[in-house]
Amino acid sequence: MVEPSDELKISKDRSECDGCDTQCACNATHDLSPPDTNLTTGPEISNDADRRNFLKQATTITLGALSLTVLPWSRDNDDGKNVGGGSATPIVYGFLVDTEKCIGAGKCLTACRVENDVPEGYSRTWVERYIHYKDGRVEVDRVPESGYHAAGLVDIDSELIDRSYFVPKLCNHCEDAPCNQVCPVHASFTSPEGVELIDTDSCIGCAYCVQACPYGVRFVNPNTNSADKCTWCYHRITQNEKPACVEACPVDARVFGRLDDPESELNRRLAKVPHHVLREHLGTHPKLHYIGLSGEVN
Amino acid sequence: MNNQDPTIMSATRHLQILALLLLLGGGAALQLRNMLVPATFGEIGTYRAAALGTNAAHPLTFPSDARCLKCHEDVQEERVESLHTVVRCVHCHGFGAEHITQATAVEVDSSVTIASAQDWDHHFPTKVDLFITYDRATCLACHQATVGMPESFLQINVAEHLEDQGAEDVEDVNVCFECHTGHSPGL
Repeated sequence: MVEPSDELKISKDRSECDGCDTQCACNATHDLSPPDTNLTTGPEISNDADRRNFLKQATTITLGALSLTVLPWSRDNDDGKNVGGGSATPIVYGFLVDTEKCIGAGKCLTACRVENDVPEGYSRTWVERYIHYKDGRVEVDRVPESGYHAAGLVDIDSELIDRSYFVPKLCNHCEDAPCNQVCPVHASFTSPEGVELIDTDSCIGCAYCVQACPYGVRFVNPNTNSADKCTWCYHRITQNEKPACVEACPVDARVFGRLDDPESELNRRLAKVPHHVLREHLGTHPKLHYIGLSGEVN
Repeated sequence: MNNQDPTIMSATRHLQILALLLLLGGGAALQLRNMLVPATFGEIGTYRAAALGTNAAHPLTFPSDARCLKCHEDVQEERVESLHTVVRCVHCHGFGAEHITQATAVEVDSSVTIASAQDWDHHFPTKVDLFITYDRATCLACHQATVGMPESFLQINVAEHLEDQGAEDVEDVNVCFECHTGHSPGL
């Protein structure tokens, strides 16, 4: 250990340094020989007071900057759902399918196809028929678009059957839609009224959303090369018309309306009977409700 | 700080360089973002707000009954007591897009001719714009008893019904109209 002596001017105070040719520990000797690693004395570059000050200032500045910038932006982002009147309740649309009324006419299917230019081979909506045979089997087939009579299919012997019913299906317009989650370009989104829509100009046709939908309602339209699905006829409902399938149904098996208005026909019908959604266990919270949904329907 | 000796760096030079890089880099990133993020994105939510307009701008094709009954008020009178008010005009008469265009135009320009109704092409969905048909297929599309129909619905087994009712020409394609009319078929 080198002790301060008369020959070597070792100073702990940087202010006594009169400049060095090399960056040195400022021991004021301008000694370029390698520093003695045993040297434990010497001016401290920083001391506890400086360190404490720095931490205080850094923390203050950081917290101040955060509170002015990041934290205000992290307010609840509801994806713009609260549009529609400011303080008034936002419009939320919903849909009801009453399987106890459906007669399998197929009018909804042709209406949708014509209204939305749906290409042959693809469907935005379809109707399934569940047949419970007396021997316990359950069979599922699809209602032909023309209806059963025009399709000329041989009908099943009703003696073999316990019960059977039709289940119309379309996009469920989920509150927590998996399709919106997975879209890499934000082409799949929720409108302010709660309608799940597709931005066909942004869609890249990767079909990730087609995979993600647990209900199988999406497809890639070969004409537009974009994802496609039931939109609850957004172009109609924004002009106070009903979706085409709802308009076409002769037995009121499909009902469209506002879920946020307790007086709407939709809510009044939902209030009267038990109703369900498809695949509730997946937590998608569909806005499409079913009356008369049997356990076998998935 | 050090005017005499240029080889000596200032104590804060590295911070200045860093600040400059951050500024330039940040500016470049911001510019890149503005170029890449599409217009109207983020206005309402994490999507292009313009897409709402695109979706809403799709033309309406399927006419509601109210649209037809605006001109064809006599049909409304025929149907008023009937259960068949629930059957849409388009189910038996076609989607009528051209017909509505012509009908709207004739209100402005009386020289426009409204094409008369054609025969049905026996397709669901039909390619014919406007048709009048008495073909039993339009009735049976809903009323032929099929497995799956709810019991409350009025459905028939065609052969049995025709026999019960004593239809004259069982094979006739228009046999339903021996007894029923289209607009108020209830008997």
